[in-house]
Amino acid sequence: MIELRNVSRFYRRGADDVHALENVSLEIPAGRFVALMGPSGSGKTTLLNMLAGLDRPSDGQISVAGRKLNDLSEDELAAFRAGHMGFVFQFFNLIPVFSARENVELPLLLTRLEKAERRQRAETALRIVGLAGRASHMPAQLSGGEQQRVAIARAIVTDPEIVVGDEPTGDLDAKNAEEVLGLLRTLKREFGKTVVIATHDPRAERYVDEVLLVDKGVFMGSRPGATGASPVSGTAR
Amino acid sequence: MIKFIPFVWRNLMRNPLRSMLTGGAIMLALAMVCVLRTAPEGFDRFLDNLAKNSRISIHNTAGIVYGMPYAYLARIKAVPGVVGAVSWSWFGGAVDRDKGVTFPNFAVDADAIGVVFEDLGIEPAAIEHFRSHRDGALVGRMTMQRQGWKPGDEITLVGMVYPVDLSFRISGEIPAEQDPRFWFHRTYLEEALRAQGIPSDQVGMIWARIDQAELVPGVMKQIDDMFRNSEAETESETEKSFFQNFFSLLQGFIVVFLIVSWLVAGCIVFIAANTASMAVRERMRELAVLKAIGFRWRLLFTTLLGEAALLATVAGALGALLSLALTRALATQAAMTPTMGPLAGFVVTNWMLVEALFLAFFIGILSGVVPSFGGARRSVATTLREVF
Repeated sequence: MIELRNVSRFYRRGADDVHALENVSLEIPAGRFVALMGPSGSGKTTLLNMLAGLDRPSDGQISVAGRKLNDLSEDELAAFRAGHMGFVFQFFNLIPVFSARENVELPLLLTRLEKAERRQRAETALRIVGLAGRASHMPAQLSGGEQQRVAIARAIVTDPEIVVGDEPTGDLDAKNAEEVLGLLRTLKREFGKTVVIATHDPRAERYVDEVLLVDKGVFMGSRPGATGASPVSGTAR
Repeated sequence: MIKFIPFVWRNLMRNPLRSMLTGGAIMLALAMVCVLRTAPEGFDRFLDNLAKNSRISIHNTAGIVYGMPYAYLARIKAVPGVVGAVSWSWFGGAVDRDKGVTFPNFAVDADAIGVVFEDLGIEPAAIEHFRSHRDGALVGRMTMQRQGWKPGDEITLVGMVYPVDLSFRISGEIPAEQDPRFWFHRTYLEEALRAQGIPSDQVGMIWARIDQAELVPGVMKQIDDMFRNSEAETESETEKSFFQNFFSLLQGFIVVFLIVSWLVAGCIVFIAANTASMAVRERMRELAVLKAIGFRWRLLFTTLLGEAALLATVAGALGALLSLALTRALATQAAMTPTMGPLAGFVVTNWMLVEALFLAFFIGILSGVVPSFGGARRSVATTLREVF
């Protein structure tokens, strides 16, 4: 369960305060696939960063998987992310000097797992995303879609409850975008993950349970996705 | 942390050319620091060894290139406190005329050589053989090894200064590791020169050993007073003082070189820091992602700093090895050039190698600390906002 209570985020830009988020309250139950949608600059990435523990609210409370993120120190937040969150970004951000398997293995370096166990888990994650045969390829040898699938494997290799994605299809062609969205839906359906993405991609609506609409830093409400799951609760303006 | 070593190494090697260039700069700077650091210690070692004996040199007060009458030798021997004295005259002989003089060779007085240079540890049998054979020669170990000679060998030196070639039978070795000297009988040279009608009543300098160290200042004064207002006034010096003066100009240069080498080491810190900054700046996005997936800032800081330290330490190790090779080459060169003699003692010690490694490590840490801290401490959200 992800819960935001009256969350606001202000940035200081010169002499002005920029209100990136204003008084957002919502709950995302565990095991849902949710898309944050809205125009550029609407605050969806800020909202995603807040609930993922990458940024702190100026005001309000955030609770994820039973932990109040406001109360956590920077190190505790890092440990929380390592244990509970998986991340997928627009530009894949694989480390170019590591193979696909080594990239997937990266989050496991933070655990006490032995090398053989780390390797095995990385290969399992690559198998889930359909890249078992590309484990030893370097990122430059993979297509954009394949690189994003490696990034998804990296996001799930620690078996987190929540996977967050910031424009995960933003740098992909239509075919690869559909594949990645399908893969994220599989994570929700077959592995019970909570998946939250911020996206402009209208295709996402066909894959998600719910679309949360954000505009000008305000939560505008939600509408069901194509899967037809019950709506996310929240306070919309 | 061990599991992160491959992570550090692979990141370091992501831009091999840049790493090699930076590493090369560090390597050369460290090699230079090491080589120049050998100089003061080499001089000290050389002079300290000389300070242990009570030997003095007596030469023309106008300079060592001016001779003195051979008759001075007998008068010096008669001064109370003088245990023994020998004359030294530069012969300038070469094994191969085309190659020129490759080691210093002197005509000496064979009778007192064992007494005046007793601290050299020349075997009594070798000294005895030298005394009793007019064509005998005592040869420093370095020259013996370089020429492939052994006691009993017969060799010929071609005169590069005097128009005489002299054949010798090697009596034995002067057993100092870096000693290039070659000694032979003065009388042997005298006879050869006389046969050519060349007078040889001059000597280059005289070495005398004094009975007790505390007598040295008094004996030196007495000798110099004895020849005051003569055709060749003398200047007596302890062996240490003699070589100290001989190399004083070089020592001044070495101080300058040392200062320059430390400045270069300082420059290298900035060069390496620039490289580290570039490496961190290029990877801000990756660093943000690593922080997002749970890497703590201290871990990132350590790995980034580790890259800088590893590069500098590896380069420093190579630089230290290079300095070893350079000093050995210098020692070889010194053996061929008499005035560079002490350079043969300028060796990179194990301690210097350890110091060089620590210095390199320190350069790495110093150059990496600011960019690594900046990169690791940067907020994930801020970075993501800027780069995505």
